[in-house]
Formats: sequence, structure tokens, C-alpha cells
Amino acid sequence: MEFNDGYPSYEKMALHDEEHGKKVRKAIWKVFWILLIVTLVELVVGFQAHAWNLGRTFLMVFFISLTIVKAAYIVMSFMHLGDEVKSFKWTVLGPFAILILYLVFLVDPGEGTYSKSGRYVIDKNLTKHTHQSHTPAKEASKH
Amino acid sequence: MSSHAVSTQSKANWGGGGVSPFGMSYGKMFMWFFLLSDAFTFSGLLAAYGFMRHKYTDIWPDPGHVFHHFPFYDGSIPLAYVGLMTFILIMSSVTMVLAVEAGHRNRKNQVAMWMLLTIIGGALFLGSQAWEWYNFIVGTPEGAVRNVLVDGVFVDQVVHGANMTYNEYGHTVFANFFFFITGFHGFHVFTGVLLNVIIYINVIRGTYEKRGHYEMVEKVGLYWHFVDLVWVFVFTFFYLL
Repeated sequence: MEFNDGYPSYEKMALHDEEHGKKVRKAIWKVFWILLIVTLVELVVGFQAHAWNLGRTFLMVFFISLTIVKAAYIVMSFMHLGDEVKSFKWTVLGPFAILILYLVFLVDPGEGTYSKSGRYVIDKNLTKHTHQSHTPAKEASKH
Repeated sequence: MSSHAVSTQSKANWGGGGVSPFGMSYGKMFMWFFLLSDAFTFSGLLAAYGFMRHKYTDIWPDPGHVFHHFPFYDGSIPLAYVGLMTFILIMSSVTMVLAVEAGHRNRKNQVAMWMLLTIIGGALFLGSQAWEWYNFIVGTPEGAVRNVLVDGVFVDQVVHGANMTYNEYGHTVFANFFFFITGFHGFHVFTGVLLNVIIYINVIRGTYEKRGHYEMVEKVGLYWHFVDLVWVFVFTFFYLL
């Protein structure tokens, strides 16, 4: 006897026929090519970064944007988040929007923890004051 | 069982129970929530890595100099092997999503075939990572002079490769983060392969054919894609930047 709790069978609702399957497979291979090409572009740029004299800021923006593009394709297409209901998309992506904001403030060149000005300078002076003998060269050989 | 059979067809409102809030099975939903928390763990690790990377910019090793080995080739090709590893993992993600698609059509043999290819891809990736670790730990024949602790005193001596206490390529913290983050990711890949093997056996035995749907394949598929997703970020932050 089949167990039935009256709960709708979402598992069976996901089934589709051969005709629809063809379309789905086509979309999967399209995403595969996008991911492959983006990765190859990243590798070539990473390989040639010195030869082409690319700045660190440019590389950071370039690589992180491409990574987010790849991540979006994996999550939306391969993990089928694009096919879920709107409220679920927000439930999953919402927390990440907050995390990304936090990271942006962390990196912010003006006031962030990663910035060269602002709080960082105070930190640096403190370090200088307490470990006066430490020169960068010595630091390097120590580790 | 008749006492459990409550008609829910009339319940349009999910607050009353019986209907899933997001129109999906609870198993799948909670796989998503688990992955969400796991993603935060990795975000924390990578943020910490970025912080150290920024702090020691001057003495941070260039990944192109560290990871330039290729199997059966004596010369050096920076980042080629890690590019291949990335390709293997993306490929196994594709075979996984194809297994899920075949499951939606209830094609047992196709699901089994794609699952098997996914397992092979995962095993290849794990082997590659072990090889990458091996090269990193063994290091170069020349080595580099580092200040290391020997019998309670710090002395300058030539070291080869990297471990938790010294690193010939640069700052020790680079090796620490490398081992911890790629290790944690590798552990996820290992777990994923294990789950895939279990599901593969169930597919062959016809467990899901009897059940009438292949949602378990979809659930482990979510986990497997997540492993690929994390690697995309590890690849960017460790090898490209």
C-alpha cells in the first residue's frame, strides 16, 4: 500500500516529457559553454597580467565580476534557483545581499578596514610604536 | 494509514500546514538552507584570507610561481593544471545536472550513466588536488632561506616546500590558508563523491524507479553544484588574484 499523507507530491510535479527535456538539455550545454569560455578568459588574463601591465584594482574588479557571473549561472541554471518561486529566491539570495554589502564596506577605500587611509593609519602607528625594531625586510625573512 | 490521509487540495494557504511554503518538497528546501549556512562558512574563510592577503601584499607569493607543475611535463606552465581541475569540476557539474534532467523523465539508465560520470569527475578532481598538495608540500629543489623554530630557537635555514610552520614561497599564512580552505573544500568534494556513490547504487537498484521520481538525485545534485560553486570562488581568490 502506498503511503499517502495528503501532502502534494512536489517531486512528481517536477517530471517532464521528452520534448521538454530536449529544451532543458540545450540550456544546460549553453551554460556549460559560457562557464568554459569565462574560465578560459580568466586564465589567459591571469597568465598575461604581468606582460599586459594590468593594475591590481583592475584585476580585482575584472576577476570578481566574472566570478559572480559564473556563480550566477551555476546557481540560477544548474541549481534551478531560477525556476523556484520568487519568495524562495529572495530567501536564499537576501542574506547574501547583506553579506556583500558588509564586504563592500570592509574593502571601501575611504573608511573600510582594507583602506590605506582612515583607521588603517592609526593601526599602523600603533604597530610601529610597539614593534619599533620591525622593518619590512626583517618581517619578510621571518616568515 | 487512512487516519493520515487529510485532504489538502482545498488548503490554498500554506500557514495551515499540509502545503510547502515555497512549492517544493521539504527535503529540497532544507538542502538549500544547509547550503546557505555552508556558503557563509566559506565566505568567512575567504574574507579572512582576503584580509591577510591585503595585510602582507609585499611578501605574498605569486600563485603563478607556486602552482606551475603539470603531470608528465618537466617544464613550467603557470595555472594550467588548476585550469584543468576547474574544467573537470565544471564538467562533472554538467553531468550531474544532466542526471537530474534524465531523472525528470524517469530514465533509469540515463540517470545511472550520468551519475557514474559525475563520480568519475569527482574522483579525478580529488586526485588532482592531492597531486597539487604534494607539489606544494615538497617544493623546489633549491628551496629558500626561512627563519624557522628548531629546538626552541629561531634559526635561518634552507627549507623546501610549505607546511603549517614554514613556507618557502612566502608568508606562512599563505600555506595555512591554502591547506585549510582547499582542504575544507576537498573534504566537501569527498563527501559529495560519497553521497553520489550511495545515490548511484540506489539508482541501479531501482529504489527511485519504484518511488516514481528521482528527487534524491536532485538533492545530492544541489550539494554537488555547491561544491563547484565554492571552487569557482577558491579558484579566483587563491589562483587568479
